[in-house]
This record gives sequence, structure tokens and C-alpha cells, in this order.
Amino acid sequence: MKKKAVKRILGIVCCMTLTMSMLAGCGSTSETAATEATQETTTADETKTEASGEAEVQEPAEAEPVEVTLGIWPEDTLADDIAMHEGFVETMKTKNPNATYTPAYYKYATDTFMPMVESGNCPTVFESWFTEPQKLIASKAVANITSELDGKGWLNSMNPSIKELLSDKDGNIYGIPRDGYALGLMLNVELFEEAGLVDADGYPLYPKTMEELAQTAKTIKDKTGAAGFVLLAKDGAGGWHFSNIAWNFGATLCIDNGDGTFTSNLNSPEAIEAMEFVKSLKWDYDVLTADPTNEDWGTGFTQLGTGNAAMYIAANDAVNQPTQVNGLPVDKLAMCAIPEGPGGQYSLFGGTPYMFSKDATPEQINAALDYIEVMGKGPSVSEDAIAGMQADAENKSAAGVPVIPRFPCWTDQAILDAEAKIIEDYGNVDTKMFQPYFDATSSEGLRSEEPGLTQDMYSELTKVLQSVITDKNADVTALMNTANDNYQKLLDDANSAN
Amino acid sequence: MRKRKSFKKRDLLGWLVMLPTLLLFAFYVWEPLLENVRLSMFSAVRYELQEFVAFDNYIKVINNPDFIAAFKNTFSYTLWSLVIGFLVPIALGILISETVRFKGLFRVGIYFPNIVPGLATVWIWSFFFNPGKTGVLNIILSKFGIDPQLWLTNPHWTIPLIIITLTWKSAGATALIYMANISSISPDLYEAATIDGAGIRQRIRHITLPSVFSLAKTLLLLQIISVFQILYEPMVMTNGGPNNASISLMMLMYRYAFRDFDFPSGAALSVMICIVLIILSGIYTVATRKKED
Repeated sequence: MKKKAVKRILGIVCCMTLTMSMLAGCGSTSETAATEATQETTTADETKTEASGEAEVQEPAEAEPVEVTLGIWPEDTLADDIAMHEGFVETMKTKNPNATYTPAYYKYATDTFMPMVESGNCPTVFESWFTEPQKLIASKAVANITSELDGKGWLNSMNPSIKELLSDKDGNIYGIPRDGYALGLMLNVELFEEAGLVDADGYPLYPKTMEELAQTAKTIKDKTGAAGFVLLAKDGAGGWHFSNIAWNFGATLCIDNGDGTFTSNLNSPEAIEAMEFVKSLKWDYDVLTADPTNEDWGTGFTQLGTGNAAMYIAANDAVNQPTQVNGLPVDKLAMCAIPEGPGGQYSLFGGTPYMFSKDATPEQINAALDYIEVMGKGPSVSEDAIAGMQADAENKSAAGVPVIPRFPCWTDQAILDAEAKIIEDYGNVDTKMFQPYFDATSSEGLRSEEPGLTQDMYSELTKVLQSVITDKNADVTALMNTANDNYQKLLDDANSAN
Repeated sequence: MRKRKSFKKRDLLGWLVMLPTLLLFAFYVWEPLLENVRLSMFSAVRYELQEFVAFDNYIKVINNPDFIAAFKNTFSYTLWSLVIGFLVPIALGILISETVRFKGLFRVGIYFPNIVPGLATVWIWSFFFNPGKTGVLNIILSKFGIDPQLWLTNPHWTIPLIIITLTWKSAGATALIYMANISSISPDLYEAATIDGAGIRQRIRHITLPSVFSLAKTLLLLQIISVFQILYEPMVMTNGGPNNASISLMMLMYRYAFRDFDFPSGAALSVMICIVLIILSGIYTVATRKKED
């Protein structure tokens, strides 16, 4: 009996110890978390109080230490890029000694971003994708930087169309463009040479019409065995590229009713004709890669860069992808416009943005903008900015990336001149290889993305693309009608929610 | 009254042993589950609840053009997994149990795919199923003069092929469970049957299969619950295509939450998946209980 009682007491003691230790563990963690949170809040409050105090008494901002975490820091494998950024940090030490810049490499991904924001770990400045700004603005996950841009005098320097992509309905701005881009056609010159599609001077005989695109792709396929053209059909990027093809056939895919509502127009005769053209690339010309339903933005560059395909719809801001990332020699890449169709020639343009943590203070945002200026990515022609542009150009040149003009995301003539000078000094490619592209993208044919639930529209179009390239007997009209109905249904939901 | 008191006393130690686990479950499982149900009935900015919208998110999910396809496909995945994947581990378990030589080798062999990381498995099989001339299966077929096949890009074959991948990966582990069960059957039964002149087929039919029956029932239910939540295999191998031929409910949920940042709709869909699974489990339990009775 005594033994039993001792056993029971021992058991209870063990259980209590286990429970207490677990609770103690929880307690200490939450206590630490709470302490940290309090400290953070205190710091933030202090900063805010001090910031407002500064505004009142007009004390110089340098007095306050500012910490900036740089999500735009290069990834570990890019040693040369890291060395370049370390140089920028050194420059910032003299330019803004009160600011501390901490590398915090972050590659934007939709599945990691929101948890990071919620946990307060979002870097002060990070790079996102061209598709994301409106979503992030609607989610209140990024900072409004209008007043900071105004303070730096950058507000009116931004390309108005790109500014619109980074703004909310009230005109507040939430990001600045790293680069602008306009879609064109990237060419693997090695395959053009192998197929005999070069002129007397060795320049590729690029396609100027959609019909020529199909014929050129077929010649390449017949003579080299490589795919003539990379069509994307794995995810929304397929619809994104297709929208540009459809425009050139004369289609408008979404109609803005002007009252904040939109009407789907995916089954217009022009859009159907464009989809028939894509279908013919598979079943009449047979010029696509083995499995377009598994091709996305990244694999498209792999196919082009490694010589598995000759032509790919892409933009000037991604010339490092086929070259630096996938090994295509820098002088074997050329670009031209997306070929003209029955409806004309259009190039979809947009901007890849830098955005800022919703928790960033005005001081942190200003310090991050200073850093971007030193990188040579702002609309500034200061010595530091020029040095940043030069470092960037040198780095690209060393890494085998074409140094070509970026799409004008800032409109100041001074910055455009400075950029032109950099290209002149550091250009590492024959500009004629890119001339057709820049001629087209500086013309009237630039067009921004379709309005109204654009990502959903791309999803619907991608589903049709998947059908027409996997089923020879696919009824394009019926598929486009279904896509149109589906897209309209989503638009109706959004229209009624508004 | 006295009985109740003594019941409490007797179980005190048990409750104390369970306490840490209960607390952890409450914190990491039940509270998030309830929070998820709450989130599904609110509008939200990021994860922050805004206003109560009752069942609006559920209606929105059901009206999504991809919902019907995802719903049908998810049942299709489950049915194909039963057709292809349910009997394979039982057969493997019985065959290896009956094997006399190299038993260990076979055991390791069938378990091997299970130690390959899940993503690596689907990538390996993606190379096999590549529809071009460079696909491994098409290279093999070409040796026999057969034209390249579409494999995953054929909408009729997409789901069965994904299920074959899934079965290849997990059948070995399930077979080990069956083998453990079979090894616990008294050898006397087999000896007696053999003396009575029973062949291998009769031994399997009258001794082995009845012995693994109750285990098979449990594993069937677990398989249904697991396959109903299929996510990364179609996401990596086909991204739900071609034209939604392989999209699953969990993929749709992932898109709501992590592509569109529409967490309330994702939560609503997850609650719906949970309800369907509860109903399926209920039907199954009732059906098998009747059979037992």
C-alpha cells in the first residue's frame, strides 16, 4: 500500500514537472517575445515621437540612427554583385553615417511574403514582381512613399504609366521602378546562324510578321532540330505573353466600362484568330518545345539560353537570364519586336518595382531611397549615382550580361543622357543586335496590361493555351467562349463587391 | 456519487499525463482550427479580420469557375488511388511475406522510394513523363518503334499517372505495415492448413486476407483522407493542367491564399474540405460497422 502511494506521488510529481517545464518554456518565450515586441514598439514610438518632434523643431535628421534592412541584397552565389553592393554600403557610410544598412537577401515569393509581413520581418526595401504591386497595395502590406518621393523631388520624374502601376486609386505611390520593361522577342543567334537565317553581315533575319514568325521557327526546327519558339503554358505567364500576341491580331481582351466595372472580351474574332495562330504553331508548324504546359518564365530562358529554342517572348530587363544564368555567349543574344499581326504591332510594358515594408518609418524609407540612388537606379545624376551606374555596367560586362539601355522608367532628360553615356562607355554588345527591339519599343505601340483582374484573365487564357496545344481537335471558339464566361463571372463578382 | 468520486481519483494520474499534450494540442491544433473557421466568415486585410460576412466567402468559392473541376478531380484522385494504390501494398506485403530468399533485399527495395524526398520523386517522374522525344518513357517506347506519347498532357491520363507516382512512392511503407501484421499471424494456422492440403492461394484467401482485413479498413480510411488533400504532386507536375484536368481542391485553396492573398476564401475552402472528409469518414464508419454487425 505504501509502495503504491509512493508510486502515485512520484507519478504526480513527474507530471507536474513536465507540465511546469512546458509552461515555463512557453512563458519564457512569450515573455521574450513580449519584451522584444515592447522594445520594438517603444523604439517605433520613440522614433515616431522624435520624428514628429523633429518636424516641429526642424532639427536635422542625421541625429537619429536609422537601420535599413536590404531585401534587395544579391543572393549568396552572386559574389561579384555582393562586392558591388558592399561598395554601395561603403559609399553610404560617408553619405549618410547615421544609417546602418543590413543585408537581408529576400527573393519575393507569394507564399512567404505575407507571413513575413505579419511577423514584422519584412525587409525595409525589397524587390517584387511586375504582377504584384496592386495586390500588395490592396493588402496594405507596403508603405505609402508619396511624401518621401516628393521630398526627394522624384515624384514627377517617374514615367507616368509606370507610376500608375505603382499607385492606388487616390494617387498615393507605393514603389519605384527598378527597371521598366517592354516585351519583345529574344533570339538565340547561334541557332539562327546554324539555320542560315542571317544576312551578309551576320545579323539574324528576324521575323517581322506573325506569319514570318511561324516560318522562321519552322526553318530553325527543320534545320537544327531545336524548337523554333518557346510558348509558355504552365502558369499565368502564358496568358501574359498571349495577351500581347492577341493585341497584334487586333484584340482587346478586357473592356473598361469607365464606371469602375469591366467587361470580358476574350471571345472576340481577333482573340480567337490569335489563339488559332498559337494552335497552328503546335499542330501545323510543330515548332514548339516538347512540353509547353511545363514551360514558365524561367524555363523559357533556359530553353533559349541552352540552345533548345531559338525565339522567346521576353523583355530587355531580363537579358541576364539567357546569358549569365543559362550560359549563352553575350554576343549570341539579339532582340527584336514582337512581330506585327493583322491588328498592328504592340509591346506590353510595365515596371519591376522596389517596394517598402509597411512598418518602415519615413527615415528608413528615405535612407533606403538614398541607397537606391547610390545604386544608380533613381532619377538622380549625382556623382554617386553615376558611380553606381558605372559599377553596375562593369559588373554586367564582367558577368557576360549585355549592357543595353533600360526601358525609360524615369523621364528626366538628364538621367536619360547619363544612362546613354554609360551605355556608350561600357556597352559590350553590337547595338544593331538590339536595334529592332528598341526602335519598336520607343514607338507608339507601347501598351500597358489589360485592366480588371488581370491575373484571373491570364489564368483563363492559360487554360485555353493548354487545351489547344495538347488537343489537336480542340475547338478554339468554344474554349474561348468558356474562358470569356468564366472571366466575366469573376469580373461580375468583383464589380458587385465594388 | 461515491462511484463518480472514485472515478475522478482513479483517472487523475491519467489526466495529468495527458495535460501537456492537451495544452500543446489546444495551442497548436484546436485554436488554429477554430480561428480558421472564424476567418472563413470574415473579410480580411492580410490576416486581420475586418467585418463579419457570414457565408459570403463560401459562396464566392463555390462560384469560382475552377471549383467544380477541382471538386470532381479531387474525388477522381481518391477513386484512382483506391483502384491503383489500395491493393498494391497488400499484394506486396503478402508476396514478400511468402518469399523465402532475399526477403531483406525486397523489403528494403520496396521501401526505398519512400526515403526519396517527395519533391524529388515528382521531378524524377516528370522526366519520365516528358511528352517530347527526350522523355524517359518515350525514349524506351522509341526503341520498340512506338511514337512518343503525351503522358501527363493527355487530360484523360493526367490523374491516373499522378496516382501511379504517388503509389510508387508510398506503397512500400504501407506494405511494411501489412507485413508486420502478417508476421503476427500464428504460424500454427499455416502449418495446420498445409497439413490439411491447402495450397498457397487457399492459405492467402482463408488465413492471410481475413487477418489483414481490419488493418486494411483503417488504412483505406487514412488513404482517402490523405489523397483527398493532394497538393504538391499536381502542383509540380502539371500545375493543375492541362485546362484544369488535374487541379485539386487543395491547389485551389493554395491559390486563394498564396497567389491572391485572399486568406478568408482559402479558409472557407479548407473548412469545406474538412466537412467533406468528416462526411466521408462517417459514411465509411457506418458502412463498415453494419458489415461487422
